[in-house]
Amino acid sequence: MEKLSALIDGELDDQEMERQLALLKQNNDAQDSWEMFNLIGDTLRGDSRISSDFSRCIAERLALEPTMLAPQRRAAKNVVRNAMSIAASLAAVSVVAWVAFSNNPLTAPGSPASVHLAEPAPAQLASINSQGQMNEYLLAHQGFSPSTAIQGVVPYIRSVSVSPTPQNR
Amino acid sequence: MIKVLPLVILGLMAADVAHAGNDNTQEAFALLKKIANATRQFNYSGTFVYQHGGKSETSRIVHYVNNAGGEFEKLEALDGPPREVIRNNDQLTCYLPNLKTVIIEQRDTRQLPVLVPERMSGIVENYTVKLAGNDRVAGYDCNVVMLEPKDNMRYGRSFCAETGSGLPLRTRTINEKRETIESFAFTQLTIGGNFNSDKVKSKYAAISKNWRVDRSALTVSEQKADAGWVVGHQPAGFRKTTEINRSIAGRHGAVSHIVLSDGITAVSVFIEAKPKDRVVAQALAHQGAVNIYTRPHAGHVVTVLGEAPAVTIMQIANSLELRVNSASAR
Repeated sequence: MEKLSALIDGELDDQEMERQLALLKQNNDAQDSWEMFNLIGDTLRGDSRISSDFSRCIAERLALEPTMLAPQRRAAKNVVRNAMSIAASLAAVSVVAWVAFSNNPLTAPGSPASVHLAEPAPAQLASINSQGQMNEYLLAHQGFSPSTAIQGVVPYIRSVSVSPTPQNR
Repeated sequence: MIKVLPLVILGLMAADVAHAGNDNTQEAFALLKKIANATRQFNYSGTFVYQHGGKSETSRIVHYVNNAGGEFEKLEALDGPPREVIRNNDQLTCYLPNLKTVIIEQRDTRQLPVLVPERMSGIVENYTVKLAGNDRVAGYDCNVVMLEPKDNMRYGRSFCAETGSGLPLRTRTINEKRETIESFAFTQLTIGGNFNSDKVKSKYAAISKNWRVDRSALTVSEQKADAGWVVGHQPAGFRKTTEINRSIAGRHGAVSHIVLSDGITAVSVFIEAKPKDRVVAQALAHQGAVNIYTRPHAGHVVTVLGEAPAVTIMQIANSLELRVNSASAR
């Protein structure tokens, strides 16, 4: 936990950072904690990115639970999920408020807000640098990609971009 | 007035789009085709910078076309651990001296994703293609062609093509916030000139004889492979372009490989049996503009990757279904 916090604050050296990132990759609990730490950090900093994260969060929850006004109560598994659902509720309120109060002339009255909200969103899964772990798959893919073909062999620097070290293969 | 103004603006935009539909788009398309041909037809050598996620890497490239139309290329990383990629027509060989490993990737020329008219129609459906002025890269004047996505399921692209040859001097991939997430840009380039095949050979060719060799294989057959996997919720604008059985270099076992494309972007789906002793958790990763998502599903490991947003990659992976006994039911 302390290490995670230090990782977010950029206080770890390269070697320790690699180790923690590898741990994160394997451990779901650590991923939850990582997201929670980042959420707290973002909130404290008043980071503007939080609003987009929030709407993504709501979009996802709305897609799962169409009965938005009477959401089912689920047994919260842990603190993280509790906090997440509070965050989602707050965000849901703000979106409802936004939909209700914004008098957008381009939005026909009664047009379903869910058209926007139901867009598929990635789950709360942080994207990590692949660290060269997927190079062979990338290599297998690129030969079939028009955007790669248009540039000749140049984009293949991606598939050798981070050469994995012998021990993590 | 408040209600009328947006309509007026919309009207103006529509007129603009209609206009673009005639001249600009067609010219932009012509340029896109010119770029695709230029990278295959010209001899060139130069240095380019690959930028992604705040990092940048410099590499050298040599492209040589012999009199018979055979294509040879050499890509050499100049920063970090030494690495080389040699292309010999449809075979790619990666030399990784720090691992004492050679990775050989065989491509099937019939499957090469060249920009053909039927794929061009996919680009029109999914992107607004337009010329976007001139620029200067590596000392050459170039024309910018933009592919602006019509929805959030794909990234935008910008190519700056050298005015004479059409060679792409700079390529950018742009996300929905209009941020460049990946770029390739030449800093020095020589177009034309006489080459010989020595310039496109690896300096590791001789010493790599004792290195480990990982090789991929494609099942090249006229009959399309169909392992019974279907993408239930295919993102708008994507069509299946390829389905083959293959192996992946350095990995064991057969892999089903399905490719979906919208004309410019491709997403690969790899499905392989999950080894009993391997624990697979869902994971999202990236390499430059390529997003990679892995998940366990029905006793298999599903890996979906492509130069598309994570939503697109995950939608494809999460909607993958195995049709029950598609072969034996009949």
